[in-house]
Amino acid sequence: MDNSNVIRIALAGNPNCGKTSLFNALTGAHQKVGNFSGVTVEKHEGYLDYKGYRITVVDLPGIYSLTPYSPEEIVTREYLIKEPPDVVVNVLEGPNLERNLLLTTQLMELEIDFLVALNMMDEVEEKGIVIEIKQLQQLLGCHIIPTSAKKNTGLDALLDHIIRVAQKKITIRKNKLFFRPELELSVDKITALLLHQKELKNYNPRWLAIKLLENDRAVYHEVQQYPVWLKIELALQEALREAEQLHDSEPEILITEDRHAFIRGAMKECVRQTSAIKATATDYIDMVVLNRVLGLPIFLLVVWAIFQLTFTLGSPIMDGLQLLFDTMASTVEPLLPNETLRSIIIDGIIAGVGGVLVFLPNIVLLFIGLSFLEASGYMARAAFVIDRVMHRFGLHGKSFIPMITGFGCSIPAIMATRTLKSRTDRLVTIMIIPFMSCGAKLPVYVLLTAAFFPPDVAANVMFGIYLLGVIVGLWTALILKKTVMKSDSEPFVMELPPYRWPTFSSVFFQAKIKALMYLKKAGTLILGAVLIIWAVSNYPHNHVLDAQFAAETARIEQSGASDTQRQALTHALDLRIKSEQLEYSIAGRIGKVLEPVIKPLGFDWKIGIALVTGLAAKEVVVSTLGTIYSIGQSNDTDVELKSILRNDPSFSQATALSLMVFVLLYIPCVAAIGVMKKEVGHWKPVVLYSIYSLSVAWILSFIVYRIALLML
Amino acid sequence: MRLSELKVGEKAEVEAVKAVGAVRRRIMDMGLIKGTEFQVIRVAPLGDPVEIAFKGLYLALRKNEADGIFVTTMSDVTAK
Ligand SMILES: Nc1nc2c(ncn2[C@@H]2O[C@H](COP(=O)(O)OP(=O)(O)OP(=O)(O)O)[C@@H](O)[C@H]2O)c(=O)[nH]1
Ligand SMILES: [Mg+2]
Repeated sequence: MDNSNVIRIALAGNPNCGKTSLFNALTGAHQKVGNFSGVTVEKHEGYLDYKGYRITVVDLPGIYSLTPYSPEEIVTREYLIKEPPDVVVNVLEGPNLERNLLLTTQLMELEIDFLVALNMMDEVEEKGIVIEIKQLQQLLGCHIIPTSAKKNTGLDALLDHIIRVAQKKITIRKNKLFFRPELELSVDKITALLLHQKELKNYNPRWLAIKLLENDRAVYHEVQQYPVWLKIELALQEALREAEQLHDSEPEILITEDRHAFIRGAMKECVRQTSAIKATATDYIDMVVLNRVLGLPIFLLVVWAIFQLTFTLGSPIMDGLQLLFDTMASTVEPLLPNETLRSIIIDGIIAGVGGVLVFLPNIVLLFIGLSFLEASGYMARAAFVIDRVMHRFGLHGKSFIPMITGFGCSIPAIMATRTLKSRTDRLVTIMIIPFMSCGAKLPVYVLLTAAFFPPDVAANVMFGIYLLGVIVGLWTALILKKTVMKSDSEPFVMELPPYRWPTFSSVFFQAKIKALMYLKKAGTLILGAVLIIWAVSNYPHNHVLDAQFAAETARIEQSGASDTQRQALTHALDLRIKSEQLEYSIAGRIGKVLEPVIKPLGFDWKIGIALVTGLAAKEVVVSTLGTIYSIGQSNDTDVELKSILRNDPSFSQATALSLMVFVLLYIPCVAAIGVMKKEVGHWKPVVLYSIYSLSVAWILSFIVYRIALLML
Repeated sequence: MRLSELKVGEKAEVEAVKAVGAVRRRIMDMGLIKGTEFQVIRVAPLGDPVEIAFKGLYLALRKNEADGIFVTTMSDVTAK
């Protein structure tokens, strides 16, 4: 495709106005959409081919204004200023036009080529709002295309306009918004001064002048480097004095007020409410959900319901899958004459990888539950309800959103902390996210609760584990805030969006993406880990033990015992020899080194090995147990780990509880550690954090184990 | 009078945003500026933050932030 047919566009707009929805509708991607502010924290690119053009679309994090606030907003501003695309599409939330237009007035100042996509037109119509688009176009001096990313309307019109703007077929009038006269004088004065500084030629001088008057730090730093700053500083001081004298105010406030006044005027002229304003469904739902008495219980109920759903609905499917793997093992067993191969396939792959795959339904259900929270609009409410508690622990109600995301996976959750402005708040939130039990730890809990607890309490035990994670996380935050990370807490100013029905396709695709990722992980990382574990648990082989086995079998055969007695004896012998072989292997030896450290927690060396391998990914704990236990047992085809563990004498309810607590709290997986390092910037805090979490895990497991031994 | 002193259900108009720095910026970007009329919708179950409604949107802010927003109640506005 030749270069003139390539167009680069960027979607910019307020948080939650539907940029990502529009991005997905245009490019066919499935980036994450959610009904709260700050879903997108990184820029994403996609493209589409339309009428012979290749249009690259860049989806950006939402911003309320061009003076950024939190790290993810800085991404957008930097992008728009430093590498402006051919066309900027300013996405507006139609039903919430007044607030959204503030950013538009700032884009007008940049004098870039931009278009407005007036999104959520379906909601606009539903609410009986009429927007006079022609008139609004006149006022803003740019083209406005009504769209609905939900109903997929207006997309072609939008693309046609994009092409015409990019080809300069339509000239944009580039209207200016004029401030009150005394401000305009200051702006002009500073603009004139800026024009003298060659180095600043890349910027629009009027925009720079306005930003300086608005106290924009980044622009200050840029301009301060040059000699002209001395004169500008005087002009700024004068403007400040004037604003003080005339209005008892500041230029920054006056500018924002003038922008809002302009918008007010535009709204009066162009927007009408045709039907009477009624109380909406959102009003009614919030009356209950945010009720002073019911709010908190409902919040707990919602979270509890997700875990109940994950477990109860997941169990029968899980059992079905287990049956499938059992059948598979017993079918292939006779077909594999070679003993080593048989062991690799049955003890290694089926027990290890299959052992993890059976939890796929639970994982998918968990993610469906979470995406329902995100897509419905409840997330912001949860932050509202729980902010007080979070504040007590030195955190922010908004920290709560990454925490909930952390129940799915720590990695996006750690990235989601970019919506927090204060760096210390971000660090603290990042440090507690791994305590929010992630989806990968779920298989461990489901396995152990299903094996050792009756079905009616299993989900509650699991809920308890999650709760413990939250409590440890909050206390960690408090300790950090009180000691090394003292700071004023971040302000809490958050919009509560109207409730929206999650679209089936977005929930479905999110679940599908998660399922595919899980399958991929099972097929790559977990399979690899399983094969290594199989090898290190089988080698080196002790031939002395083989000989012993042969000799003793012969003795049993020759003894005069009855058939059943002989069978029982051989079985016991087989078990003993197999477990001695296992102890002789590399895995056994490593485990034995670890054993003294973890013995007080009720763990034997097999669990020790599983915990080490679990650092690769938490599901590997289950695979490792699956492989090690199935190598160590005598009946080859019973690959159901649940029943193997239940019958293992070294495993009890107390061990199970202690192990769950340990897995919940100890060092996060390597992928999460990597992202932590990336977001935090250096290794030291991450290493300290790992030591801390390991210690907490040890201490709490110890306590839980001892109490459980006494009580159960 | 400060926004934080209003009762649930009360309507008022913003007189001045006296918060400082980034908080003020954020509050003003949201459209809460001198002259904006709003209503206090509710207080969170644990007593903080508060939810207010204006220009068709719902905003939650902590009492701490609400302290920096000076208001005139609607009854006072009409009296004037
Ligand atoms: N009714 C309706 N809902 C929409 C439309 N476009 C987006 N939504 C919904 O609006 C919410 C926000 O959509 P997103 O696409 O995540 O918004 P965003 O602008 O990318 O948000 P951030 O990434 O947080 O800045 C979601 O609940 C969408 O389903 C639309 O045209 N009509
Ligand atoms: Mg987005």
